[in-house]
Amino acid sequence: MSDALLSIRAIDKHFGTYHALRDVSLDVAHGEFVALLGPSGCGKTTLLRCIAGFLSPDSGTIRIGGEDVTRLPPHRRPLNTVFQHYALFPHLSILDNVAYGPRRHGVARGEALERAREALELVGLDSAAGRYPRELSGGQQQRVALARAFVNRPKLLLLDEPLSALDLKLRKRMQIELKHLQEKLGIAFVFVTHDQEEAMSMANRIVVMNRGVIEQVGDGRAIYTRPASRFVADFIGEANLLPGTAEGNAGVRLAVGSALLPHLGADTRQRYTAVLRPEHVELLNQPEAPGLITDQGFVEDVIDTGGQTVVTVRVGEHLLASRRLGMAGEGLKPGAPVFVGFRPGHVHIVAEPASHRSGP
Amino acid sequence: MSAAMNRALPLLAAPVAFFAAFFAVPMIVVVSSSLMAGGVPSLGNYARVLFDQYHWDVLAATFRIAGLTTVACALLGYPLAYYLVRVVKSPALRRTCVILLVLPLFTSNIVRSFGWMVLLGRNGLVNDALVGVGILDRPMRFLGTELGIVIGLVYILLPFIVLAVGNALAAVDPALEDASSDLGATPFDTFRTVTFPLCLPGLMSGIVMVFTLAVSAYVTPALLSGGKITVFPMLIFQQYSTVFDVNYGGALSMTLLVMTLVLVGLAGWIGNAGASATGRKAQ
Repeated sequence: MSDALLSIRAIDKHFGTYHALRDVSLDVAHGEFVALLGPSGCGKTTLLRCIAGFLSPDSGTIRIGGEDVTRLPPHRRPLNTVFQHYALFPHLSILDNVAYGPRRHGVARGEALERAREALELVGLDSAAGRYPRELSGGQQQRVALARAFVNRPKLLLLDEPLSALDLKLRKRMQIELKHLQEKLGIAFVFVTHDQEEAMSMANRIVVMNRGVIEQVGDGRAIYTRPASRFVADFIGEANLLPGTAEGNAGVRLAVGSALLPHLGADTRQRYTAVLRPEHVELLNQPEAPGLITDQGFVEDVIDTGGQTVVTVRVGEHLLASRRLGMAGEGLKPGAPVFVGFRPGHVHIVAEPASHRSGP
Repeated sequence: MSAAMNRALPLLAAPVAFFAAFFAVPMIVVVSSSLMAGGVPSLGNYARVLFDQYHWDVLAATFRIAGLTTVACALLGYPLAYYLVRVVKSPALRRTCVILLVLPLFTSNIVRSFGWMVLLGRNGLVNDALVGVGILDRPMRFLGTELGIVIGLVYILLPFIVLAVGNALAAVDPALEDASSDLGATPFDTFRTVTFPLCLPGLMSGIVMVFTLAVSAYVTPALLSGGKITVFPMLIFQQYSTVFDVNYGGALSMTLLVMTLVLVGLAGWIGNAGASATGRKAQ
């Protein structure tokens, strides 16, 4: 992908003895919306700051539009950033905040103000042009930060958890607005978030990171249905993680239902984990059902939230969560015997490499 | 509400009494004595002060010395504060630097000014060094000049401006400088349009502090003037300690106080206008 807008190759970054990024490579195409997703401390913000130029990687290269920018200072990189807490200049009016970028690029004051006004119009805040950042609400400051970042028409916009300071309702609305704006502007977005729902609902592609490593890159559906590792399965959505053991080199035997699932290249020296989403676990009232792997257990816990019910079933030494729509918990008391069943096709098997990922 | 008030009142009494006893009452005593001459109310003391060209000359010298001191403190103190807050990364080193900066404040003004008398003398260390290096052909006279007094005052007052500016600089969110750089500003542009305007209030408060302390300084000018230069506090000291004319001394004190307040107010007004002007010009 030499025509990628952003091309990151084999980046490493240490903070003292702490290994923040390990051999990270990533391509971002023109106009793409990419989310960097992971728990705090996974390296997503470090990666973003390396792209923006606030941090310099120990090794590896970063190219933007084919140009090597690895050693360029931030002010010479063709991109802009929306900061987590907006970082609006408190001593400048909203209009002057947005006009700041064009002015620094040598645009005459009148022209810069004109562009700033257009950008503010695009985020619906042209009426606040004369006010100061402290006079605006969090959501409005967020829009100003956005306008200030895209007014220079960069090819690439970096967003560092821009919605994390907003309340839930406003966040949902901003997600939709942000997505529409991105499509309208045609600017590639690299969006850092720890909120998987946010990543799923906005991004074309999700980059799941953990401990400085990219665990998986793919669209939301691929990451949810075919997680590449135990970490991704556990981090994205809810998952029943069941141990499995390789038998020969053709299959993995599950701890629940004692079924042998075909798995190419199974290796008896490896540990395996079977990922089973709660919505795929059915509760049965007879021991057998056609096409299902079944097992017997006892109800451990029933949580009824109105729209859906989560029933946890103890099968041997393993707990299995089953999510059902509606009020499905009726008649299920803790301790009651119950049968569980799931389709073999819904079980996704991941190998567990005995590397850094299994450590604490 | 009123119960809380009742409990709060005794707590307030102590500071109020302290303020009244040590600030308000002396002020009233000075003002009222300045308005008395020969045992009757009169503006005669003020007439004596204001219609004598000598007083205006001394006042001008006082403000000239204080002004130069303030400018020198700002020019030396700002980079020093910037260095301490932004360049020194190790907290231990920074703490050491701040202690070194503040430590001289614990020694007496008199001792430190005597130190400068020795250093700045005709055969003092400063002249020896300047002549030795070849900057001067022959020793320069520092003692008994305004320059000598300014050097002594700058040495004593520098910590105040460094601490004021340092606090203001430390309060500037580094994300703002990142944002500026991200938007295409060179490091110098970032300093000019973001960092400097944002710590201008801190610089102004440091400037006001240094200026008022320099205007009212007595010990340092008295020791370094060598009897050749008179500043206003020396006139006041004379009236109170040698002439025992508390009425005339009071009028001199009030004159200096009012003039200083006017100048500081003027500087604040100019500073505010300047701040909004640089803010706008940045755009």
